[in-house]
Amino acid sequence: MVKKEKGQLLPSMMKNKEKRSAVHAELKHQKKLEKRKKIKARDAAEKRALELGEEPPPRAIPRTIENTREFDETVCKPDDEELFARNDADELSSILKRERTPTILITTSRFNSTLGPAFISELLDVIPNSEYFKRGTYDLKKIVEYAKTKDFTSLIVVHTNRRKPDALLIIGLPDGPTAHFKLSKLVLRKDIKNHGNPTSHEPELVLNNFTTRLGHRIGRIIQSLFPQDPNFRGRRVVTFHNQRDFIFFRHHRYIFETKETNKATCSKTKGTKSSKGENVTQEKVIARLQECGPRFTLKLISLQHGTFDTKSGEYEWVHKPEMDTSRRRFFL
Amino acid sequence: MPRTMKVESPGCPPLRALTFDELGLIKVVEARGGSHGSDPKVVERWGEPEPSRCVLAASIDDRKSNPLLAVARKCGTVEILNPLKGDVRAAISDVAHDGVKPEDDPIVGLHLFKSEGSDRTSGSCIVLTCTTKGNARIRHCAFSSSPDDSASTDTATLWKVCGAGNVLCSKVDASESYAVFGGKGVEVNVWDIRKGTKIWNAKPPPKNNLGIFTPTWFTSATFLCKDDHRKIVAGTNSHQVRLYDISAQRRPVISFDFRETAIKAVCEDLDGYTVYLGNGTGDLASFDMRTGKMLGSFLGKCSGSIRSIARHPMLPVIASCGLDSYLRLWDIKSRQPLSAVFLKQHLNAVVFDSNFTDEASLKPDPTHEAEDTVEDVQTGDVEAAKPLKKRKKKAAKEGRRKEGATAKDNGVDNLKMKKKMKKKRSEMGEGLNDQQ
Repeated sequence: MVKKEKGQLLPSMMKNKEKRSAVHAELKHQKKLEKRKKIKARDAAEKRALELGEEPPPRAIPRTIENTREFDETVCKPDDEELFARNDADELSSILKRERTPTILITTSRFNSTLGPAFISELLDVIPNSEYFKRGTYDLKKIVEYAKTKDFTSLIVVHTNRRKPDALLIIGLPDGPTAHFKLSKLVLRKDIKNHGNPTSHEPELVLNNFTTRLGHRIGRIIQSLFPQDPNFRGRRVVTFHNQRDFIFFRHHRYIFETKETNKATCSKTKGTKSSKGENVTQEKVIARLQECGPRFTLKLISLQHGTFDTKSGEYEWVHKPEMDTSRRRFFL
Repeated sequence: MPRTMKVESPGCPPLRALTFDELGLIKVVEARGGSHGSDPKVVERWGEPEPSRCVLAASIDDRKSNPLLAVARKCGTVEILNPLKGDVRAAISDVAHDGVKPEDDPIVGLHLFKSEGSDRTSGSCIVLTCTTKGNARIRHCAFSSSPDDSASTDTATLWKVCGAGNVLCSKVDASESYAVFGGKGVEVNVWDIRKGTKIWNAKPPPKNNLGIFTPTWFTSATFLCKDDHRKIVAGTNSHQVRLYDISAQRRPVISFDFRETAIKAVCEDLDGYTVYLGNGTGDLASFDMRTGKMLGSFLGKCSGSIRSIARHPMLPVIASCGLDSYLRLWDIKSRQPLSAVFLKQHLNAVVFDSNFTDEASLKPDPTHEAEDTVEDVQTGDVEAAKPLKKRKKKAAKEGRRKEGATAKDNGVDNLKMKKKMKKKRSEMGEGLNDQQ
């Protein structure tokens, strides 16, 4: 981190733990003081500039991992005709072109658990046109065939581990891709403070930050779960936000309001992904959000080319440890 | 622990490969040799994206004069192209016979015969196709001056490879008189092409003591040695690789397991005992078939199923392509990745064009026909290339970012490219003169 010359004594070179921790604490204290001084100086400079009526000096942009993400050649470009051709040709295009309305079949893994059904009932509320079937002891391949004959467009399997939902398998039908996600940080509706109740209007879908080819394909898979004609008057929005290969799921109801404030005040917003109001002038229209429905994060484990088939399946993308060699490389 | 420091990849020797994908596009990837190899780039793209024209199999006959490339598409047509320019010389469309439409019975294997001499000058070629239901056909195809509608004098020697089951893989050996077929429910069988008879059929390995046996499902097969048609390597769906010897017995001689998904591609090496295997999760490894031991695996970021592996006939390079839309080139000896080219679609096949020569390695010989046409193609169509710094394979793809984007840079950069090539050529010329 901080470059030291060769002659200086690094704390890591000291063998005595007491002394080493003392020197390290001293160093950290120094750094903290310096940082505080810098911030004070910067604030003073800004205040002075504002008083004088000039431009305040520009703030430095902090370096984040997203800023320094490695260049990825698989990022989709807006003028790529091959991308459009591939989109037209892939398995999801018939749903996305509104030729079929999506119908979803939700089921669980074989050994059911306590927290499973609660999550599933919430999923049934979130995704319109979905039905729940108990698993029994059917083979997953047989379930896929059954769903095909009954004309479903997707199959979702919720897998539980240690009595908590753990993984999500989204299978497109008839021979669509299979996406396997790891599910974590699940918060059910009853555990959210001041939650709202979702209505049955068709939701709007927000997909953020799915930039690469793989991300684009996953985005289309998620898009094919929801009907393509959102009901804007229902004011219901479902968000899948991708950041650093984690997909965050949120479900809100929103309402537009005009607020009259002078300086920067935060409006009452829950949920941080959508717009909030920071007003400098008088009247502004802001959207207030109320969270309803579950909240969870997904991470893609593998994407398989056909329907679920571990033995003879071909994987389009599978995570391998040799891909993790850089902290600044993301795949979605 | 995976490697966290980037290793300098040595760069690619000059080569040219053609890749075929699921939308029917044929992309030509070339690596020009510089002083120390350079990164391969897509120089051409032939065809329009259209899912019914998805390429299922391809075969190249790359001789010096009049090379040909045969491509089998999903709609049932087999097209013969010129691999240098990409124009269609002939097209054989599969007439629906027996009431079976070509979409239901897609072509699985294709081979263009490298027959010498007389056939070629008169402008005809022989093609062997095999479909999933087992209809194998040899067709003679003559090209006239107009590409469509060549008189495909269908001296169709047609035979049925299997009664039931689907044929999934087929290969013709180097002497072009034997062909091996295998598939789901179809045991490996070897046919003599000239006579059209089956000369050998494999037997499944015996059931184990619980009475369990895995049903036959071969997903890839190849002949092991180019001058011996008797040894065959086949990969199965249950991640098993088997070596069969026709002269020895009908059961496999050696069989071993490789990882956990189906073996999708097998390619033999020129030395007659090494094979390269690619499976459904993107693992690529080389095995010594005399002992059945793994020589090593090719570690790189291949994350999609490998659909096809090709070995360059002269350089120690193999190419693998698959569902992750990358064409990767590997060095055989060190098993290091040389480079990866992102090609945007699911790739189905790759072949090498071994007549690609570069001016750096070439003595001034303007009568060499292949080299001239290749050069013409390049100066015309080459994309804006950033200066050849010695970079890692990922970072150097900036040159390709401009593909399909703004055209305003192309003019200036083309000029620069031409100037650079001229300079190089003159340098090389001087160098050679000095040596002499």
